[in-house]
Amino acid sequence: MMDASEAIPREEHEAVPQSGRLGRVIDRLAIIPALGLVVAMLILIQEVVLRYVFGRPTNWAHETTVFLCAISFVYGGLLCTARDRHIRVVLVYDLLPPAARRVADILISAICGLSSGAFAWAAWQMVKRSAWRPDGSFHLETSGSAWNPAYPGMLKVLLMVALAIMALQFAILTVNYARGHKGAR
Amino acid sequence: MEIFGSLQSLGIEAGTGLLFALLLLLLLTGIPLAFVTLLVTLIFALGWFGPNVVPLITSRVYTFVSSFVFVSVPMFVLMAAILDRSGIARDLFEAMRLVGGRIRGGVAVQTIFVAVILAAMSGIIGGEVVLLGLIALPQMLAQGYDRKLAIGVVCAGGSLGTMVPPSIVLIIYGLTANVSIGDLFTAAFVPGFMLALLYVAYVLIRAWLTPGDVPPAVTARVPRDEKLRLLKGLFLPILVVIMVLGSIYGGIASVTEASAVGVAGVLISTVIRGEFTWGLLRGAAMQTLQTVGMIVWIGIGASALVGVFNLMGGINFVSELITGISDNPTIIILFMMAILFVLGMFLDWVGIALLTMPIFVPIIVSLGYDPVWFGVLFAMNMQVSFLSPPFGPAAFYLKSVTPPDISLGEIFRALLPFIGLQILAVGLLILFPALAIY
Amino acid sequence: QDHSFRFQSSDPSGNPNFVLQQGWAADVAEKSGGRIAIDLLPVESIVAHNETQDAIATGILDGHVTDLSYFSGRDPAFGLMGNPVGAWSDPEQMLDFVENGGGAELLNQIMNPYGLQFIGATTPGLEALVSAVPLNGVDDLAGVKIRAPEGLVQSVFAAAGASPVNLPGSEVFTSLDKKVIDAADYSVFSTNQAQGLNEVAPHPVYPGFHSMPLVEISMNKEKWDALPEDLQQVMTQSVRDFARVQVAALAEADAAAVAEAEAGGTITVHDWSDEERTKFRGIAMGEWEKVAGQSPAAQQVYDALTAYLTEKGLVQ
Ligand code: NA
Ligand code: NA
Repeated sequence: MMDASEAIPREEHEAVPQSGRLGRVIDRLAIIPALGLVVAMLILIQEVVLRYVFGRPTNWAHETTVFLCAISFVYGGLLCTARDRHIRVVLVYDLLPPAARRVADILISAICGLSSGAFAWAAWQMVKRSAWRPDGSFHLETSGSAWNPAYPGMLKVLLMVALAIMALQFAILTVNYARGHKGAR
Repeated sequence: MEIFGSLQSLGIEAGTGLLFALLLLLLLTGIPLAFVTLLVTLIFALGWFGPNVVPLITSRVYTFVSSFVFVSVPMFVLMAAILDRSGIARDLFEAMRLVGGRIRGGVAVQTIFVAVILAAMSGIIGGEVVLLGLIALPQMLAQGYDRKLAIGVVCAGGSLGTMVPPSIVLIIYGLTANVSIGDLFTAAFVPGFMLALLYVAYVLIRAWLTPGDVPPAVTARVPRDEKLRLLKGLFLPILVVIMVLGSIYGGIASVTEASAVGVAGVLISTVIRGEFTWGLLRGAAMQTLQTVGMIVWIGIGASALVGVFNLMGGINFVSELITGISDNPTIIILFMMAILFVLGMFLDWVGIALLTMPIFVPIIVSLGYDPVWFGVLFAMNMQVSFLSPPFGPAAFYLKSVTPPDISLGEIFRALLPFIGLQILAVGLLILFPALAIY
Repeated sequence: QDHSFRFQSSDPSGNPNFVLQQGWAADVAEKSGGRIAIDLLPVESIVAHNETQDAIATGILDGHVTDLSYFSGRDPAFGLMGNPVGAWSDPEQMLDFVENGGGAELLNQIMNPYGLQFIGATTPGLEALVSAVPLNGVDDLAGVKIRAPEGLVQSVFAAAGASPVNLPGSEVFTSLDKKVIDAADYSVFSTNQAQGLNEVAPHPVYPGFHSMPLVEISMNKEKWDALPEDLQQVMTQSVRDFARVQVAALAEADAAAVAEAEAGGTITVHDWSDEERTKFRGIAMGEWEKVAGQSPAAQQVYDALTAYLTEKGLVQ
C-alpha cells in the first residue's frame, strides 16, 4: 500500500493562449459539466439500489443521466476547441515551415468557425420548433414520458448556445493566429 | 450560377466519389477530425440540396448526444481516469508480471485477457480503448514491450466490446433483421473468443520470432513476502470486476448501469488504499470531460454524414451496386465484405449499420443464408472498421489519451498486423459458418 | 410520375411492419397509375424516429409512417390519441373512430399548424406483454418491474401497482434475460417471438391489454395541398386499405407465432379474463383524464374519445 502523497501526478491541460479570455472562461466553467458526470454516476448507482434493494425504481434517473451525459458531450467539444485538443491528422501540417503553419492555423480556425456558425443557425431552426408551439406560445419540448421533463427542449437550446460559442471561439482563435500568436503545435 | 443544389448534377456515383475524396483531402489538411466530417456533411447538405437541409445535421447531433447507449462511454473513461491517478493500475501490472512474466509476452497476453473481461462488461467501444490506453499501455512500455506491439494489443483488445456479448452492434442488428438477440449473443461467443485467441497467438509468435520486442522472462526467484505484497495488487481490481460482472449477470443492474458500478468500485478502491482526494476526483472528472469531448465529436460528424448521404440516395446507390453483381452467392457475400471494408475506412459503425443493414439483410435471407451468422459476420467486420485507416475510431480514442510523441501514423502502422488478423477471422467465419451457428 | 415523395418509417428494414409498408408504397404507385412514387426509408436513415415531424415540416422529408405517440413531448394530445391505453380491444374500433368518428378531422386540426397533413391511420394491432413472471390479472402486477417507455403506458402501469422502469429498447433484451426487469411493453407477439424475448421471458400475455399504437401516415401539408384532389383520394383510400392488410397480416403472423411458441413447450401464453381487462381499462381511464388536463388539444382528444366510446356502448 502507498500513501496519498505517492499518487501519480498528472499533467493537466488548459486553454491555449490564443483562445483568449473566452477560452479561459470555457476552461474554468468546465468543472460544472465534469462534475455532472460524477453526479450521473451517483444517480445510476442510486437507481440500481432503489430498484434492486427496495423494488422502487424512479421515473427520472435514466432521463437525467442521459441529459447530464449529453451536456458533457457537447461541452467537451467546446472545451477541446478552447484547449486545441481535438484530434487532427498532422502528417502534412508537421512538414510545413512555421510561416505556412501560421497560415494553416488561420485557415483551419476560420473554416471551423464558419461551419460552427452555420450549425448554430441550423440549431436555431430546430429550437424555433422545439421551444414554441405553432400558435406562438412558449413551450419547451418535453420527453413525453410519465415524468415528462423538458430535457429535449433544454438540450436543443444548450446545443445551439454551445455551437454559437464555438463559432465565437474559433473566430477569436482566427484573429489571434493572424495577429501572430505562436501556433500551439 | 446557383451554388445550392449544383452538386446534384454530378449524380450519385460521382457524388459519392467526390464525398470520399473530400474526406481524405480535408483530413490531410490538419483540420480537427470532428470538423472534417461535419464540414463535408455541410458542403454536401448545401451543395446537393440547400440551406433548408442543414438542420438535418443539428437534428442528428442532438439525437447522437442524447442516446442512452453512450452513457457507458464517460463511465469507462472516468474509471480509467481514476485508475490512472491512483496506484491501482501499476500494482495490478506488477502483480500480473509476477503471475505471467515467466512466459515471454505473458503480460501482453494477460492484457488481452483483461480486454476480454472489459468486453464482457460493456456493449460498446470507446471507453475500454481509453482505459487500456491509460492503464495498460504505459505499464507495458515501462516493462519493455515494443511500442507498436503494445499499441496494437491495446487498440485491438479494447475493440472487442462489440464482439463479445453484450454488444450494441448485435442488438441493433437483431432489431433491424428481426432475429433473436439471444441467438446472436450465443453465436458471437466463439468467434469473439477466437479473435482474442488469434491476438494471443500473434503476441506469442512475435515473442518467439523477435525476442527484442518483449521483455525477458522473469527468472529470478521472488521472495515470499514480496510475492504476497505484489499479489495484494490483484485483490481490489478483481473485486471491482466481480462487482461489475456480478451486477450484470446477477440481474442487479443493466449493462449501462453496471459501468457506473465500475466507477463506484474504483472510487471505493482509492478510498481503501488511502489515495482518494477531492483533487483526484476533480482531475479525473476534468480529464473525462475532455476525452469524451474528443471521442463523441468524432462520432457526431460521421452520424450526420450518413443522414445526408442517405438523403442523397445513398441507400438506393449501395443496393444497386450489389444487385446484378453476380449469381454466385459467395461472390455476393465477398462483395458485401468489400463494401463494409471500404465504408469501414471512412465511417463509424453506427453509420455503416444505418446504411448497409437495410440493404444486406433481405439479400442474405433471400440467398438462403442464416441471418444470425451474418449478424456475427457483420460484427466481425465492424472490428476491422474500428482499426482501419484513415478513420479508425480505436486509433483516435487511443490518441486522445497518449502522449504527443505517439503519432496517429505510428498507431495506424502498429494496427496493420491486427487488421490482418481480423480479416483472417472474417475469412474463417465465411469458410466455417459452424463457428457461429453450432 | 408526377409526384415523388420520400417517406421515413419508424420501423427497421427487416421488421414485418416495414415490409408491409413497402407494400403500401407499391399500392399507391399502382392506384395512382404511376403518378405518385413513394420512396420508403427505414427508421433513423435520415433523422431519428422522434424528429420526423420537424423534418417533414421543413421539407427535408415529405412524409412519415410512425407511431403518433412519439410526439407527445410536443403536445400530450399526440400521446393520448396515439395510444389511449385500454380504449380499444379491436383494431377495427380504433380505425372506425379515426375514419368515421371524427378522429381524422380532429387530428388534422391539431397537426396542420405544425405543417403536417394527417392522411390516415393504421396499427400493428394489440401488442403482447412480454413477461418473465406469470401475470393473470391486475393484482399480479403489484411490484412487477416493467419496462414502459411512453408516458401514458408508464402512468397506467404505475397506477395499476407495477413499478415502471424507464429503459431504452436496446437494453430490453439483456435486462429481461438477466432479470433486471420482470416484464416489458415491447411489440406484437410475432415480433417479440422473433427477437427472442419470449425465450428469456416465457410468460407472455396475449392478446395484450395495455397498448395498441396508432400508426399515422402523414405528409407535408403544402405538398399535400398541391396534389390534385383525385390523387389525395388515392392516398387516403390506399391508407385505409393498407390498415386492413396490415392488421390481417400481423394477426395471422401472431397466431402462427403463438402456435409455434405453445408447441415449443417452454412458453406459457397467458390470456386475461374480460373481468380483469375491464378492471385495467378502468384504471387507464383515470389516467386519460390527467393527460387531458395538460393541454387544450389533449382535452379535445379526451372529449372526442369518450364521446365516441360512450356512443358505441364501449364504456358505461
Ligand atoms: Na461486450
Ligand atoms: Na476505419
